[in-house]
Amino acid sequence: MSRFASASDAELVRGCRAGEQEAWNELVERYSRYVYAIAVRGFRLSEEDAEDVFQDVFTRVYTRLDSLRDDSALRPWIAQLTRRRCLDAIAARREVTAEELAEEGSTDLTDVEEAFEVREALATLSGNCQDILDRFFARDQSYKTIADELEIPSGTIASRIARCLGRLREQLEGRNPAGEGSRE
Amino acid sequence: MTTNDYRQLSLGDLLDRLSANGLAPGGGSAAALTVAFAARLVAMVARCSPAWSDAAGVVAQASAIGDRAVELAHTDGRVWDEALTALRDAEAAAESADPKKGFALEQKLEAAAAAPLEIASLGADTAQLAAVAGELGEPTYRADAAAAAALAAGGASAAAHLVRVNLGVRSADPRLVRALASETAAHEVAARLRESHR
Repeated sequence: MSRFASASDAELVRGCRAGEQEAWNELVERYSRYVYAIAVRGFRLSEEDAEDVFQDVFTRVYTRLDSLRDDSALRPWIAQLTRRRCLDAIAARREVTAEELAEEGSTDLTDVEEAFEVREALATLSGNCQDILDRFFARDQSYKTIADELEIPSGTIASRIARCLGRLREQLEGRNPAGEGSRE
Repeated sequence: MTTNDYRQLSLGDLLDRLSANGLAPGGGSAAALTVAFAARLVAMVARCSPAWSDAAGVVAQASAIGDRAVELAHTDGRVWDEALTALRDAEAAAESADPKKGFALEQKLEAAAAAPLEIASLGADTAQLAAVAGELGEPTYRADAAAAAALAAGGASAAAHLVRVNLGVRSADPRLVRALASETAAHEVAARLRESHR
């Protein structure tokens, strides 16, 4: 595992600036799905266009990292770069304004943001919690299937899931204290 | 009524469609929607239990189960329509002695058993979740948790019956065994909840 795997975004940025290849690899790993999700789900770009956006965004991140004023604001910065690049890609194909395009994609982009935050928060939970939440919510497994495969009593599954969701919520609330809006 | 999305129908329209002299929704969809009702009732109990630390987690699970049940109501309606069409084709084929049509019917009936099997499983899960809500939720709403478990058990029973019918009378079929196990589990939980609140 990379020594930057659990690094904060600010630590990652500092590592990249210092020329650490591992830091750059981790940055791309951490944000590749995010950029791709904005392009495909938020702006409904084709796979080909999304790939172009992906390449362009990470090229810009690499070459302009020194211009990032707040190291901890890596994600909103990448989101902004991605949105601009997506709008450019669509504008090149359709006769609409960038404002109209941004409005069209706003709801889906919020979903992408939330999904990414949940994914990040999930990664901080124990392996057991990650596994049981994934089984129930992503794989649609029944309590009985989960109980059989994990060899734990079926009657305890619902409570275990609820407790893991509580921990997930604590993580998310820690990231987004009440009253704090989008970081965009 | 042209929409095929039950969520877009008013309750009156949905009930009219259920009683119409047509195809779907039928028993499987009704079983799924019963489980969905039960799941939402569990969510209500949890939402009305502010002192319960795990309430939000139960709401999330109940909502997920309810959504899956509604999806299964659609799925069951669609596959049952297809099975009925295949049945009519098979009847016509019997007159023309075309064996391919009989095979198509068997495949459609197999598919028609898959949705009720999942509905029965969701019924068991919902009853289990209702038990948690009944035990740890706000005592004022325990009767609603018991009602939810009873509804879920009813949905599971109806679904298990449809699995049995759609698969024929092969009692050793593992799918039927699974459906019956879900039904039994749901009923045991529902009975336990009823007893504990007497």
